[in-house]
Amino acid sequence: MILNLAAVLLVTSSFTVHTDTTLAVKPGVRLQVNNFGGEIAISAWGKNAVHIEAEHSFRTEVGIETTEGAIKVETRGRRGTPNATDFKIVIPAWMGVKLSGLYTDVEVEGSQADVRAETVKGSIKVKGGRGYVSLHSVEGSVSVEGAQGKIELESVNEGIEATDIEGEISAETVNGDVVLAGVKSPSVEVSTVNGNICYQGEIAKGGHYSFATHNGDVGLTLPDDASASVSVSTFSGDFESDFKAKLADTGGKRFSFTLGSGDAEIALESFEGTVRLRRAGEKCDESR
Amino acid sequence: MERSDPGVTTPTTISEGVPGADDRDDVARARAGDARAFERLYRRHAARVHGLARRMMGPGPADEATQDVFVRAWEKLGTFRGEAAFGTWLHRLAINLMLTRRAWLGGQRRRLDDREETLAAQTARPAMTDLGMDFDGAIGRLPEGARQVFVLHDVEGYKHGEIAAMLKVTSGTTKAQLHRARMLLRRHLEA
Amino acid sequence: MTHEWTDRLSEYLDGELEARERARVEAHLAGCAECARTLAELKAVVARASRLPEYPPEADLWPGIEPRLAPRRRVIDLRALRPGGRRVTVPVPQVLAVVLVLMLLSAGAVWLALEPWTTLRAVPGPEPAANAALGTSDATVPEAAGVVAADFGFSRYDAAIADLERTLEQHRGQLDPATVRVVELNLRLIDRAIAQARRALESDPANPYLNNHLADQMRLKVDVLRQITALIHA
Repeated sequence: MILNLAAVLLVTSSFTVHTDTTLAVKPGVRLQVNNFGGEIAISAWGKNAVHIEAEHSFRTEVGIETTEGAIKVETRGRRGTPNATDFKIVIPAWMGVKLSGLYTDVEVEGSQADVRAETVKGSIKVKGGRGYVSLHSVEGSVSVEGAQGKIELESVNEGIEATDIEGEISAETVNGDVVLAGVKSPSVEVSTVNGNICYQGEIAKGGHYSFATHNGDVGLTLPDDASASVSVSTFSGDFESDFKAKLADTGGKRFSFTLGSGDAEIALESFEGTVRLRRAGEKCDESR
Repeated sequence: MERSDPGVTTPTTISEGVPGADDRDDVARARAGDARAFERLYRRHAARVHGLARRMMGPGPADEATQDVFVRAWEKLGTFRGEAAFGTWLHRLAINLMLTRRAWLGGQRRRLDDREETLAAQTARPAMTDLGMDFDGAIGRLPEGARQVFVLHDVEGYKHGEIAAMLKVTSGTTKAQLHRARMLLRRHLEA
Repeated sequence: MTHEWTDRLSEYLDGELEARERARVEAHLAGCAECARTLAELKAVVARASRLPEYPPEADLWPGIEPRLAPRRRVIDLRALRPGGRRVTVPVPQVLAVVLVLMLLSAGAVWLALEPWTTLRAVPGPEPAANAALGTSDATVPEAAGVVAADFGFSRYDAAIADLERTLEQHRGQLDPATVRVVELNLRLIDRAIAQARRALESDPANPYLNNHLADQMRLKVDVLRQITALIHA
């Protein structure tokens, strides 16, 4: 792999350093960024090159390593832990990325490749993504728009939002709402403990959809011709439906009924909240 | 039993009537689909909800938030079982809605909101102070966390444990926020 | 100027201090005019807050509400449909097939993925990198797709959870205190769900949903603990 290196290092003040590098890349190369704290902002362009800009204190080093298949960017503290660094990186749309950090906010826009992002305290916001999108934060919120493929979204303490996505989706959090809209998927799995769930999307033939919360509400907005066998499980919650639902008691606290010809499977669970089915056109208001 | 006469337009003054006994009947009717009954509930409780909205979210979003609260209450009437007073239930629903709204906005914002704007710095900006509402205006200018805790605790009367659960923080945090709010507000008491 | 007690004045005012601290604050107030003044100001703020006027909207908002009121949906109260007192018996071995997957993480810390029913949920194993950091070779999967009837193995979850909690307790100093607080808040949320599910099971022990739900919450707790202990080892 041939690399053209053009690096410009500017010391803008005695305290901040501005790193600016452009690397030419061949298709297939991946990007990996590990930023202890600060921001990682990724956008895409049509060139086969990666442009890396970083703003950081002079106590923090930005290391850029190129190997056969990857560009690895990392922050290192000259003494102890690194200070906050803000990265602005432009990549080819075909480039897969793996982004991680502790106190780091991640933003990706325009990717047509796989996106993996993991942070503890920051939030993750992705527009795009193809193939495999895996976003995981502990304390921050996770949001994705326009992704396609296998999509795994995880937070612990905040909510998850996904709009206009296609493919297999799983979304899990503990202390937050999950709001999915414009979904085209044969397999959706959503769970939260202390939060509401809102889903608006198609119900594919043969698809599996499961939504589970402990003390929140579950709201599904379904197309008029939705065809699925629906099971509702709860301990002390309620069920409301725009669709005619003749409930068949299948034992214990689980009830089921059929919409259309029952071509898909929908499982709805809320321990103590309300499960609600709405018709298309009615917005889910569980969290907005 | 009062029935609204379709030929009479309802007066626009709000906050008429006495909540309580009237609520029970109207709730039952509204649950069955009677929008006029729900309107009576609205008229009785709008002022309190609007006041809460104004203090929690600011004067700008207050009207829309109030409307959203009542629309939500209509939708959720099915789950109101009458153990508590309707007003209490409505109030709780309003708080949940307002806190959720703010949380989502907060999640989209950049980190710079972590920095506090002290009340002093805010009052230094040229502001149109409504002389009659000096204390209320000051509440509106508190940093968000402090304002929410202050409104919920000192204005609305919730306890720290409940507030901590609503805001998803510890009660240690709510106590600190409350103290901060009070310390900032003491300069704005009317003479 | 602030004194050591200035920050506690609100708690003092609200009666939230314990007797000993209360006494200390009162002793301080007796001799400190400034704090006494601050306290008086705080009292005034609280009094003012309780006297705030109602704030009706300036315009009538009803016209913006009425059109948004959808016709009342049919509300089906599930409890009305539940057979009162009639026990529903469920054949335990058949319906409650359990798949147990054992994965060893490090130094005795064991976590389990419990998969009731036949719906296999994808259980992500530890990443190879994480394993390397933890000093273990590969994850062993001994009793793969075994079917264990009757015994759900919740007690084994408890053991795994206890193990991880101990690790967390020992090493929490290495983590950002704010992160620890957030994690503990979420663990308490899950604990609450677990306790509620357990209580519900007392009167309906064979209920499929409740058992499944309890297992899910325990798996989640193990998962969250595992994430945090991985941070410690990172």
